[in-house]
Amino acid sequence: MAEVADEATDGTDGTDDTGDTGERWIFAVFGVVALVLLVLLATGRITLAYLLPTVALVGMWALLALGLNVQWGYAGLINFSVAAFWGVGMYSVALFTTAGSPLGINQGFFVAVVVAVVASTVLALLIGIPTLRLRTDYLAIASLGLAEVVRLVILNERNITAGSQGISVDALFPGLVTFLDALFAPDAPAFPYRGLVDLLLVSIAVALVYLFLRRVHRSPWGRLMRTIRSDEDLAEALGKNTYQYKMQAFVVGSILMALAGVFYAYQFRYVAPGDLEPINTFYVWVAVILGGTGSNRGAVVGAFTIILIREGTRFLGGLGLGLDFAALRLLLVGLLIIVVVRYRSEGLLPPRRELIWPAAREDDR
Amino acid sequence: MSEREMVYEGANMAKADVVLRAKDLRKSFGGLVATDDASFAVERGSITGMVGPNGAGKSTLFNLVSGFYTPDGGSVSVNDTDVTGKPPHDVAREGLIRTFQTPRKLEGMTVREAMMVGATPQTGESILPLFLSPSTVTSEERANLDRAEQLLERFEIAHLIDEPSTDLSGGQLKLVELARGITTDPDILLLDEPVAGVNPTLANDIKRFIRELNEEGQTFLIIEHDMPFIMDLAEPIIVLDQGRVLMEGTPEEVRTDQRVIDAYLGGAEGGRPGSGGDE
Repeated sequence: MAEVADEATDGTDGTDDTGDTGERWIFAVFGVVALVLLVLLATGRITLAYLLPTVALVGMWALLALGLNVQWGYAGLINFSVAAFWGVGMYSVALFTTAGSPLGINQGFFVAVVVAVVASTVLALLIGIPTLRLRTDYLAIASLGLAEVVRLVILNERNITAGSQGISVDALFPGLVTFLDALFAPDAPAFPYRGLVDLLLVSIAVALVYLFLRRVHRSPWGRLMRTIRSDEDLAEALGKNTYQYKMQAFVVGSILMALAGVFYAYQFRYVAPGDLEPINTFYVWVAVILGGTGSNRGAVVGAFTIILIREGTRFLGGLGLGLDFAALRLLLVGLLIIVVVRYRSEGLLPPRRELIWPAAREDDR
Repeated sequence: MSEREMVYEGANMAKADVVLRAKDLRKSFGGLVATDDASFAVERGSITGMVGPNGAGKSTLFNLVSGFYTPDGGSVSVNDTDVTGKPPHDVAREGLIRTFQTPRKLEGMTVREAMMVGATPQTGESILPLFLSPSTVTSEERANLDRAEQLLERFEIAHLIDEPSTDLSGGQLKLVELARGITTDPDILLLDEPVAGVNPTLANDIKRFIRELNEEGQTFLIIEHDMPFIMDLAEPIIVLDQGRVLMEGTPEEVRTDQRVIDAYLGGAEGGRPGSGGDE
């Protein structure tokens, strides 16, 4: 009900009516994609063992994109070290919860989460304190350097991180996996419970993060972030400590990226410094820009689109057309960006709401 | 400049109830001295005008007192609190709010949103209260929303409330800036060229609104190039020339002062180097 009311008034939020038809088209396309996936699944062309982890991967990417959206979409901070914060999350799992940890620490999931949150906060503060007082360009430059520093430290500090050899990661809640297996199909051919558990947990995380972000975005806090992004001097002139607020956005975004890394480590079951290559940062930026900068829905949709391209090209390659579609992946991403910029310059699902605390406007309706 | 023997009389510093006081402010950019021992005071309840030829250092002075520039020397105080060298948000918190010469557009925000950033501090600008005390946030937000609507109505731009602020004309933006400034309940509002590029009808409206607000007790310090506008609105008027306070007086005194005429004519004849900090 509330959603309907929102849409009724949102025509006045600066989006024209064509924007809404455009949105309907986009949802229709995603509906068709979901339908195709179900058909493929029903006809046995793809298996649950493939689909469940892939959807879990979408959830993981959604966390990354939501994190960058807080920094770039809300506050206008240019962070080119997404992969570094992601890596912090991954290595929190690898170093603190695995049998093969060079540190010899084998604790559980929640320890990994705590370590990831603390480590990413510390790293964000380290890079934020010197750069966030300056113009946004400086954060961009410094973060570019940070990403490489973190990657090279992990690559070279073999005693601590196992270097290029990487670290294998155990299942997330292995007890839950065996429990489900025993409960539903003790004798049946192995159902991909591990993928299911990964999907369930990342879905819970995405849902919680999404609810959290929805509340903080449509609030005086989110509105102030939008003001800072648009004109920092103006926010300062109105008595807002913009440095402090930019720091908040930077830390929150970085924590979300590290959480994504935690889930990725469990999903991929192996972490190595190669994951921290700048290309991954680039993909997250594409997800946010394609989806619609500043929009939480957009970040999720952008993450979905990225996985669709990455996995879709794999499928096309299997059709035997004599083309290596995997190699065309970046080209496709580039083409998609051009098409979106040309026809939907604000992204697939741009922000359309005024950032005003919803409860304060209920009597208007 | 030596050929022009000017007597810099300075501003009237002996005012009773002073909101903003600047003392011996100095600022140079490289070799260019933009502000040179400028002192002035703004009395509570006044509309103080600030004029001067291009390059006299008006905008530099605004940036110095509002904290956007750090002075090389001298001091600034708001309500007798020293704010020298403090960042702009701290100066603003002391009650000094400024607008900008080029209106700020706030991309992606409606006029309603642009109005509601004004109030400071807002409980909802911190993350925790959004979850721990949402009802406080709601009631504050409701009050701010009402205030924004009332002010827009008062300034006769209520019909623009849903518009993206990028779609507004320069004059409408100036009105939004003025209205937003008022939402902060400032002790002194600094307006940087409030009618530059504004059509005469709207300029008259702006003059009327400023006068009404002043009658309710609002203190203003206004830079303006439009002489008839500022002469009609402000008293006293401070005249700047070459980064220094040339004189201060009533519009009549300023209009007839030979030094002021010389300063303006000197500028008009050209050949005066530097337009220090005055965009």
